[in-house]
Amino acid sequence: MKGVVLALALLGIGHAVCADAHKPSDSYLTLAVHDGVVRGHWDIALRDLDLVLDLDRDGDRRLTWGEIRTRETDIDAYLASRLALSIGDAACPLDVAGHAIDHHSDGAYVVVGLSASCPRAIDALTLDYRLLFDVDAQHRGLLKLAAGEGGDTTRAAVFDRDHRRQAFTLAGTDAGSALRSFVRDGIVHIATGYDHILFLVALLLPAVLGRQGRRWSAVPRLSVALRNVAATVTAFTVAHSITLSLATLHVVMLPARFTESMIALSVLVTAIDNLVPILPARRWLVAFAFGLIHGFGFASVLRDLDLSGAMLALSLFGFNAGVELGQLALVALIVPVAYLARSLRSYQLGVVGGGSVAIAMLALGWLVERSLDLKLMPF
Amino acid sequence: MPTLRAIAPTLVSAALFAASAVRAEPYVPTNDAQVIERLPGGTDARGDRAMRAMRALLARRPADLDVAVRFAQACVDRAKALSDPRPLGQAQAALSPWWDAPDPPVPVLLLRATIRQRSHAFEPALADLDRVVAREPSNAQAWLIRADVQLVSGDHDGARASCAHLEGIIATLCVAPIDGVDGASASAHASISVILDGPAITRDERLRAWASTLAAELDERLGRTADAEARYRASLAIDPFDAYTVAAYADFLLDEGRPQDVVALIAADTPVDNLLLRRAQAEHRLRSADAARSRAALAERFAALHARGDRVHLREEARYVLELKGDADAALELALENWSVQKEPLDARIALESALAAGRARDVVVIADWVVRTRLEGARIAELVRRVRAS
Repeated sequence: MKGVVLALALLGIGHAVCADAHKPSDSYLTLAVHDGVVRGHWDIALRDLDLVLDLDRDGDRRLTWGEIRTRETDIDAYLASRLALSIGDAACPLDVAGHAIDHHSDGAYVVVGLSASCPRAIDALTLDYRLLFDVDAQHRGLLKLAAGEGGDTTRAAVFDRDHRRQAFTLAGTDAGSALRSFVRDGIVHIATGYDHILFLVALLLPAVLGRQGRRWSAVPRLSVALRNVAATVTAFTVAHSITLSLATLHVVMLPARFTESMIALSVLVTAIDNLVPILPARRWLVAFAFGLIHGFGFASVLRDLDLSGAMLALSLFGFNAGVELGQLALVALIVPVAYLARSLRSYQLGVVGGGSVAIAMLALGWLVERSLDLKLMPF
Repeated sequence: MPTLRAIAPTLVSAALFAASAVRAEPYVPTNDAQVIERLPGGTDARGDRAMRAMRALLARRPADLDVAVRFAQACVDRAKALSDPRPLGQAQAALSPWWDAPDPPVPVLLLRATIRQRSHAFEPALADLDRVVAREPSNAQAWLIRADVQLVSGDHDGARASCAHLEGIIATLCVAPIDGVDGASASAHASISVILDGPAITRDERLRAWASTLAAELDERLGRTADAEARYRASLAIDPFDAYTVAAYADFLLDEGRPQDVVALIAADTPVDNLLLRRAQAEHRLRSADAARSRAALAERFAALHARGDRVHLREEARYVLELKGDADAALELALENWSVQKEPLDARIALESALAAGRARDVVVIADWVVRTRLEGARIAELVRRVRAS
């Protein structure tokens, strides 16, 4: 018996020098990123899938299309559990659909279509690849990742047993589309950031009025109103650009709860000031001072993206430009109507007075909620 | 050539996959009965069932060392029998609870050494074997594998030292391959012949096939062409699927100027890259119409290996680049990178051939000196060394 074992061991040495043939196991993952959506296809060798899903039901070592087609649900569920896409902490839910057959140098592969939409612009995509490593330690996942408008930049990467999770910075490959996506982020942030909008509204509503003590009166000419608006908006912009940059570059860091509370306070104080003067008469000074606080609020969006280098500069510029565009749209919406209505008592009392009361109430709610870390408000 | 004709059909049936040199678009089959893929091992239904049962058992008891080792051993055997590296990854996965452990059990170390050797990770393989023999100084299997790894990586003295721990017929079989590349082909052949003609070996067919192949290689080195061919055929008559012997016999036929016999020996759709290389070389020399197809299939296979980052087929790739792509400089780079890892006669040969074709003999003087120093025999290698030293 021992002789046989030794003889077999000996056979091993004779043939060990014979280089491997066929091919070790690989899957081919081809993805393209465009407009926040990842699309592509994934080719997996049928002989590998058979290892884990027992596709060859009749055990005749021949896989028919019927044996594959009737197991599509199992195949999809298995594959979806073995690949995860995310941006930072935010998962991009993966959808596996569509089945075809293709041939690679070592046999037939099933080809499944993949799509995933991410919760925000895709600048750095993280892939968590876990296919087959538990049954084949030499398996590798070969990724081709295309990014940019026409998929003009393609990256290749290999996932293996010791490199299952890899992150890819994409935006740097195409500055144009990255810039557009940051501008979009900026617009979206101002359009959905009700605290910023209400702060601007509270600042802009009285811009068509002049003030004597507690009383408001209509400005005589459009140029006076426009000068007020321009001074206010410029001061706000300059101020929040400064703190946005400082915070994004990690020069000055403030806790989010503090800045969010301060933003609420700034809205509250500005609205009260519209009713009872408590701030300096020069509104642009107010806009500047509170703009510094709002800049820290904007910065939290960019910090979540975890950018660096050229991407950081690009994101600062693009995001800021987007915020400006959003502000200008708001100005264009409010100022003409306000100017035309400035002499009306209903405007001075109802819109400015009543509006400021409403804004103050809302801001008070935010202030309480944010400073005490409660959840009271619907937005 | 009756033997050849007897072998060819079995080799054709052993070819499980079509080498689709032309890539088509993905398609959706329309007929449920259409066979999409033939799974490996289909020729041995009982072996397949046993494998399946073992895999199921392992899935239920992944932490059971005995089950894992049995399964991994079966995978390693299967990888060898089919010349398919995939089961090696499956063996490694089965052993994963112990694979990264600081001090794995001896059976795991032996399997890990074998798997590492196949990936040409010779140093880590030797480290594993050293630990086995430190714990079990009389473990013959460990000494045998150790000698083989040392021989492949050019450490002939180390290989001899490993063989010295063995006794009897096993010791003879261990030393013969070293003698064969160390200027003692004749005495190696004599001792192998004694064993082949003796009674002990006839009981084990596969061992007889292995010894016959070794004898054939020694005959070839000694210039005894007719004897070499007879030994190769004797070996293939026992085990017609053995890719190592088929490749060695094909090389013999190519050297003898008989490419048409290589085309008859190796099926066009062989799944084994090493064999496809020999067939492509033969078709190239015959100026056959199929040459372009085989060359494209080889290119696709090498590209697939590059994509995953494998550097295991450098010797074969150098041959492909030299003869089929005609790029001697690129072939030399591959051959030199290969030489830094493995140092068998074929490794020396492709390096010398590439350097001569590239007009860069100076780059391989070290290798020529190595051949002279180790006293590697053979008319062809001697001629290459002479030309390298002359230029």
